[in-house]
Amino acid sequence: MFGLDYSWLSDPVYQGWLLRGTLNTIGLALASSAVAVLIGTFGALALSLRIAWLDALIELFVELFRNTPPLLQMLFFYFTLSTIGLRVTDPVTGLSVPLLSAFDCALVSLSFFGGALCIEAFRSGLESLPRSVNEAARSLGYSRWGRFRRIEVPIASRICLPALTNILTNLFKTTSQASVITVPELMYYAGQIYNDTFRTAEVMLLVLLIYVSLVSVLSWGMSRIERALAFPGYGKGH
Amino acid sequence: MRTSILTIATSIVVALGITAAGADTLADVKAKGTLTIGVKNDYPPYGFLNNKGEIVGFEVDLGKYVARELLGPEGKAELVPVVAANRIEFLNSGRIDIILATLGVTAERGKVIDFSEYYVSAPGPSVIAPKAATFSKWEELKGLTLCGIQGSYYNKHLTEDLGVQLTAFKTQPEAYRALKDNRCVGFVFDDMTLRKKTEEAEWADYKIAVDPYEYIPQAAGIRKDDTAFRDAVNKAITKAEAEGKLIEWETTYGMPHSNYIAERAKAAAAKLKP
Repeated sequence: MFGLDYSWLSDPVYQGWLLRGTLNTIGLALASSAVAVLIGTFGALALSLRIAWLDALIELFVELFRNTPPLLQMLFFYFTLSTIGLRVTDPVTGLSVPLLSAFDCALVSLSFFGGALCIEAFRSGLESLPRSVNEAARSLGYSRWGRFRRIEVPIASRICLPALTNILTNLFKTTSQASVITVPELMYYAGQIYNDTFRTAEVMLLVLLIYVSLVSVLSWGMSRIERALAFPGYGKGH
Repeated sequence: MRTSILTIATSIVVALGITAAGADTLADVKAKGTLTIGVKNDYPPYGFLNNKGEIVGFEVDLGKYVARELLGPEGKAELVPVVAANRIEFLNSGRIDIILATLGVTAERGKVIDFSEYYVSAPGPSVIAPKAATFSKWEELKGLTLCGIQGSYYNKHLTEDLGVQLTAFKTQPEAYRALKDNRCVGFVFDDMTLRKKTEEAEWADYKIAVDPYEYIPQAAGIRKDDTAFRDAVNKAITKAEAEGKLIEWETTYGMPHSNYIAERAKAAAAKLKP
């Protein structure tokens, strides 16, 4: 149809590459999303404590990783860290090798990038609570930790869910840049397949469909969570 | 019967110099007075930048020769830098008229473009590795991690047939860096480029550990079924071979004199003898 030729797709080697690439993309996206949410949670929590030196530290982290392209971060982690000494001795060969593998570098970079965005999103959620809510809780005798656990986080997490969905879908798509540091994800194999077969348009179209499906599942899942957590008066609650 | 009528009809059309629209590059090129050639600009000795920033090289000289043959002494050659990943797209989309950019003849490529006469027999990939490396055969690379370049035509052969763990980069400098970092035990790439690398002082501790497993004829890439143009290009290449031009260019660009080119020069000279 439309003069597209998908005969190359019957080659088991290319099927295997596409499957492996897709699994690696999903793996990298899930792992970095999990770490990013953790970084965001603890970062926003730490910010709410209002300790000057901690605030400064977190702000530095956010500025550094939110304001630099993930591609640059990956290249930095992959090539520069090992050059300036982050190396170990391989027990088998006795050679000095870089500590972080390609996958590690991509994971660290994407987690930090996503984490920095999450800190800002979660902070904005916490800060959006009306002061009166906090005062009411305090008058009911809640401790600082109790207020945080039972009132601030439950409300703030619901407020920033749409922002989190944005961050995670972006993070998912950014995994494609890991092919530059040789992480064998979907784009890495796609490039090799269209270089072998010259079916550039066909390969790109298929990869596009795979990304659309995967990211759709993600955003569908997130909207389900949003709906399940909704409470009256906020977001999707009635 | 139908085919023969079609063949006769086509021959008549060709004889009259009116071929099907869009497929007659020869007429187009003659009309515009310029041959637009896709060349490498990062690939000594075939196509690279000299210290004045001009693109020169073995295939660049061949391209200029072909342009003069097709268009006369006033004929111009426009050089368009291409890379392996886009050269066939450039040709088939009409951005260039001919590929003269280290194009190896393969069956896969033959499905989408036509080739001219094969003018060079280029070594395939070899492996550069530290001098201490103990492997010397392709079969010994099974399970070892090699650096490579994304999109290279031999990657599938390496990973699927030879069982190599391939770590493929976008560009050469990244792969060289990774090799120095011991991210891989060797770097598999075009033999001629790697051999030049081992001559550099910085790479004195490295050797060509595994020799190429094949030699691939190199040819000009031409759009499919562009018969008149291909015949004209072939005629020009054969004339250059007969005049010993290719041997001259080997000398100019510091290439070892190959038997392949010498043999072809002899054959071409014999063919063109009146």
